[in-house]
Amino acid sequence: MVSERALFIINISLGLFSVLLLLMLLGLKLPTLGQAQYALDEEEPVCMIQWQEELTPYQDIDRCCLQARQQFQCRAESKDTVDWMCGSGEGLQIWLNNKAYNYCRQQPYW
Amino acid sequence: MKRKNGSGVQKKVFFALVVVVLFLSILNVVKANGLLIPKQKPVDVDNKIVDLQKMTLEQKIAQMVVVVGDPQNYWPWRNLQLGGIHLFSRQTEHVFNNTVIDFQYQMPIPFFVTADLEGCVSPFGFIREFTPASEVDTVEKAFAKGVEEGQFLHKLGFNLNFAPVVDLKDDIWKCRSFPGDEAKISELAQAYLTGLQTQQVLGTAKHYPGKTLIVKDPHKYVVAAEIGKKDVYPYQYLVEKGEVKAIMVSHVISSGQIDSSGIPAVASKKVLDELRVNYDGLIVSDEIHMLGLKNYYRSLDEVYIAVFKAGNDVVLNFDKDPNEIYNMIQVIKAAVERGEIPLAQIDASVTRILEAKGFRVI
Repeated sequence: MVSERALFIINISLGLFSVLLLLMLLGLKLPTLGQAQYALDEEEPVCMIQWQEELTPYQDIDRCCLQARQQFQCRAESKDTVDWMCGSGEGLQIWLNNKAYNYCRQQPYW
Repeated sequence: MKRKNGSGVQKKVFFALVVVVLFLSILNVVKANGLLIPKQKPVDVDNKIVDLQKMTLEQKIAQMVVVVGDPQNYWPWRNLQLGGIHLFSRQTEHVFNNTVIDFQYQMPIPFFVTADLEGCVSPFGFIREFTPASEVDTVEKAFAKGVEEGQFLHKLGFNLNFAPVVDLKDDIWKCRSFPGDEAKISELAQAYLTGLQTQQVLGTAKHYPGKTLIVKDPHKYVVAAEIGKKDVYPYQYLVEKGEVKAIMVSHVISSGQIDSSGIPAVASKKVLDELRVNYDGLIVSDEIHMLGLKNYYRSLDEVYIAVFKAGNDVVLNFDKDPNEIYNMIQVIKAAVERGEIPLAQIDASVTRILEAKGFRVI
């Protein structure tokens, strides 16, 4: 049914896929699309904390990411220079721009 | 004829490769879920008494680790008999409760179940709002806040809260620190801890040595702060009163009153040894995937060794990958075996942890 040539190409692909799976099994971490996106984005990461009506920039991006992750969810929502809002309920909210959000998503706890 | 033979070989190769791909895919899924991690033998517990000599080194190190209590990692975390699980936000009390019950079921040494419930910072936003620390200005209110939060946490199965914040200034969140000067903050924190701990939930003063909630220079790779006497006062006060059961150390590179000699405080043996002089409670590391900490070392393995070697009793590693947590335990085990980290130090930490969990250690 399938031509010999097509079968040959499928076999080569399966062979490459097997090698990738084997490398992953041995602990190789492949770069992700998110990492590429982050590296290509020339913006500065921005994290803003909103308590009541006040927005304050937060430079410690790692602590910001961890607190954002502890919230129930982050959803796309634009406000000034930020694009993502992370929160649980009505209280404190953490705002991130795309660069910061992509950075946070690369963290092992995300 | 030759063409037919070639096609036959291609078909055989195809079927062989499909089997290989399927097998490797299954192995990868099994590995990703931590199911290839060897199961630890259960810790021998007799009538709430633990014989340290009967614990393996891996079991001891595992007790020092707190991870994220993601139900996806239910088996590996239980198999490794880790020290604790930290829970992020969930939508209902029921989900929190069930997660805790599932994890704790028949564990010889129960997990620490931890949360960051400070008031405005809370994983329980969908369930209940709590008074922000910034609005608590009397000892009575602080005590009541401690009792209220303790009751709530205890009901859900939590036993260790990473609060209160005793940083003197909160320029960023505006709600996490108590109001007032260092003396007032210390009194309020003491009252909060007393209230919280009446409900069988341990409290944690954080983030030692201070100044983690102030606006810093926008330097991407280092979080540094000059620590003054006032910053350390709340810790000295709480230790003196005997009220604080745990202190969390941050990744700030500190100078001044507490000098971490150019490395993150959480990895500084000098800083932790000085803290330990008058204090015998738990020292808890801040979560270890921080840029300030990671950028200081060449590899994660080095971070692990530095943080354990410094003398942290409880190490927060929120990596979702169970294989990485297992790797951390193996790295520390090897460091102890080659004498880089003293076994006596690990034993002392495990003793503090088990005693905090209500066990007697012999």
